[in-house]
Amino acid sequence: MAYALIALGFVLALNAAGAVNFAHGDLVVLGGAVAVLAGLWTGLPGPLLLPIVALVLGATGILAARIAIQPLAARPPEATFVATIALAAIIEQGLTVGLGAAPLTAPPFAGSGTIDIGGLALGRQPLAILAVGAVLVAAVWFLLERTQLGRRMRAVSSDRYMARAVGIPVGRYVMLSLALAGALAGVAGFLLGHQFLVAPTQGAGHMLKAYIAVAIGGWGSVPGALLGALGIGLFETFVSAAVGDAWASAALYVAVLAVLVLRPQGLFGEPVGRRA
Amino acid sequence: MRPLGWFWTVVLVLPPLLALLVLPSFGQRMVTLVGIYALMGVGYQLVFGQLGALNLAQGALFGLGAYALALLAPAAGLLALPLAAIVAAATAALVCGPLLRLQSHYFALATLALAALVNLVAVHVADLTGGANGLAGFTAALPTGAALLSLVWACLIVAVVLYARLFRGSLGHQARLLREAPLAAATLGIDGGRWRFAAFVAGAALAGLAGGFSATLSGVVSPDVTSFPIMILCLTSVVLGGSRHPMGAVLGAVIAVCLPEMLRDLQGLWLLAYAAATLVVVRWAPEGLAGLIDRWRGATAAATPLPMLPDSLALSGGPRELVLESVSKSFGGVAALSDVSFTVDRGEVVGLIGPNGSGKTTLLNVIGGLESADGGTIRLDGQRIDGLSPHRIARAGIGRTFQTVPLADETRRGDIVRAITSGAPFLLLDEPAAGASDRERRDIARLVDQVSAAGRGVLIVDHDIDLLTRVCDRLVCLDRGRVIAAGRPAEVRADPRVRATFLGLDEAAA
Repeated sequence: MAYALIALGFVLALNAAGAVNFAHGDLVVLGGAVAVLAGLWTGLPGPLLLPIVALVLGATGILAARIAIQPLAARPPEATFVATIALAAIIEQGLTVGLGAAPLTAPPFAGSGTIDIGGLALGRQPLAILAVGAVLVAAVWFLLERTQLGRRMRAVSSDRYMARAVGIPVGRYVMLSLALAGALAGVAGFLLGHQFLVAPTQGAGHMLKAYIAVAIGGWGSVPGALLGALGIGLFETFVSAAVGDAWASAALYVAVLAVLVLRPQGLFGEPVGRRA
Repeated sequence: MRPLGWFWTVVLVLPPLLALLVLPSFGQRMVTLVGIYALMGVGYQLVFGQLGALNLAQGALFGLGAYALALLAPAAGLLALPLAAIVAAATAALVCGPLLRLQSHYFALATLALAALVNLVAVHVADLTGGANGLAGFTAALPTGAALLSLVWACLIVAVVLYARLFRGSLGHQARLLREAPLAAATLGIDGGRWRFAAFVAGAALAGLAGGFSATLSGVVSPDVTSFPIMILCLTSVVLGGSRHPMGAVLGAVIAVCLPEMLRDLQGLWLLAYAAATLVVVRWAPEGLAGLIDRWRGATAAATPLPMLPDSLALSGGPRELVLESVSKSFGGVAALSDVSFTVDRGEVVGLIGPNGSGKTTLLNVIGGLESADGGTIRLDGQRIDGLSPHRIARAGIGRTFQTVPLADETRRGDIVRAITSGAPFLLLDEPAAGASDRERRDIARLVDQVSAAGRGVLIVDHDIDLLTRVCDRLVCLDRGRVIAAGRPAEVRADPRVRATFLGLDEAAA
């Protein structure tokens, strides 16, 4: 479910910016790091840390848009790729310098340990991830589909010139999308950070998985990205149980290459024709 | 003009000479490393700089070369170096067939997944690669020190000079067309697929060779050489140096090797500074450091020569007629073209008229292969060209221009002249006079006359009915995808249906 949050933020940023944000994975890590620090300094419980992380990362998302995405909107997508790769390296190195390379543990969201539901012992943290993830996904869905704000965001992503022509301030909505993307990434980083720790080098892995989820789910499709992320989660869980982590990842990459080669429009189709 | 110019030639040759003459062995080692990264960078410029494709597997190919050398050197000795290049190139050739068709973001992902796979193999197939410990002790038969430095820089100098020579002239122009206007490139007969294949494989060979050298220099190979940071290093250094400038990779490599030495006390900070510098270059100086230096020296890059109109436009060979028979095409349920048939002979100018949305541009796209016809045949003499790829159709003898000029800083005349100089016996001109001044219109009319006088066939779409009446031998009028009138300009203009639908006179429009 945390993958779903990452992928959701990734696809929002992608649609708004019209190019891949390679720094997205590092925003996830940054979210984890912010949670660690905020937890240390304030001692607040998990549910109260959540809005702090979301706010900080939302602001970071805006910053990222200002630095690496908006100024390059008129250039070919490769320019944004390179700029966000550089941004990713800056975040990663900044974290390494600031916090050290050793993994840190983010505070738990709802206490550790397990609760007993119908005879099944379930970890509190995974349940919290599931619950928070579901709430946020539903909230984003509501925002995009049921509010004027969301309609405008979708208008901007489907055709920014047309959106501008009907009077939508495109730049502001791109930034809003990236703020939302950053906040989602941060929350995901916080939630993952307790169980899987927080280390500066994880960013590339998070980014790659979101990228894969979006490519498999159909480029630019929000539900596709969610399905893709859930698919990756299930795939990893089952395949790694069978053959081990390394080969699960290998199988995932091979599967991605196969999907790209055989069905380049994604498993669920591309919502917008993007032919050159 | 020499391809590189004296200034850059000196900059290129100086480091190895200085290193050999005056530097201690530590300095020599650094210069060797610069050469290695630059070699990988030149290979990367082929794909990323020239074709604008974000290849994220270059670092993995570098690592592949390093492992190939480590495994082959005990048996093959010095031969292991070229073998390392061949292994990387062969791998690239094997996988890139399907990958190169992908669009930018998918291509980036596919190469990223490929790189991740190589890294996984390096870490986990311990029998072959030594796992996380890597391989060592394979350098007995390989050059070291000054000999290695000379070898690396000899390869680099050859690569840079070749690169500068290759991309100076028409090849550079072709690469630019492919990068910025792939459709126009295809209609000039440039085979983008073959181009990308060649660039990707050649780039991989250079990466493999660089990887081999790197293993020779360090004496050990570990999974780190296939990891993502190497890729980032390669990408950022090429961007910093200048992604297309012949010396961009060399300058980038100098920075990548020297900066961490200079900022050694600051630990990880150098990477931070490096990434920040890359961001600055991407935003404010996309031509990179080498381009900046050129600007500062006052040596602007030699402008790609504008295609000049040759003195003689005469053609002897080639097909005699372009024949359309019952061509149809629909988008969704809408018939954009139905049952369109006519012929264009050599030396003839045929004008295509009709209201907006009547299918004129679609027809040009179908003839040129940018869209495929749903039915009917298109032939050049006896040869069917419907269903061929755009560059094959262009080579069979059809050139074209576009409604909007494909390259940013080009004139419409440049676009037309390029189509003419491609030598195609038949030309498709899409609204050449749109937005043109009276003088430009006369110029275009004169060009069209020249072309038809030289025995070429022209199919021209335009809204300027007076211009068409002047230059065309025949007019064909389309309405909602059907031919409603064809014949001499005066006849077509007099046709009541044409007057109703196109000229806006409403005697038949009830």
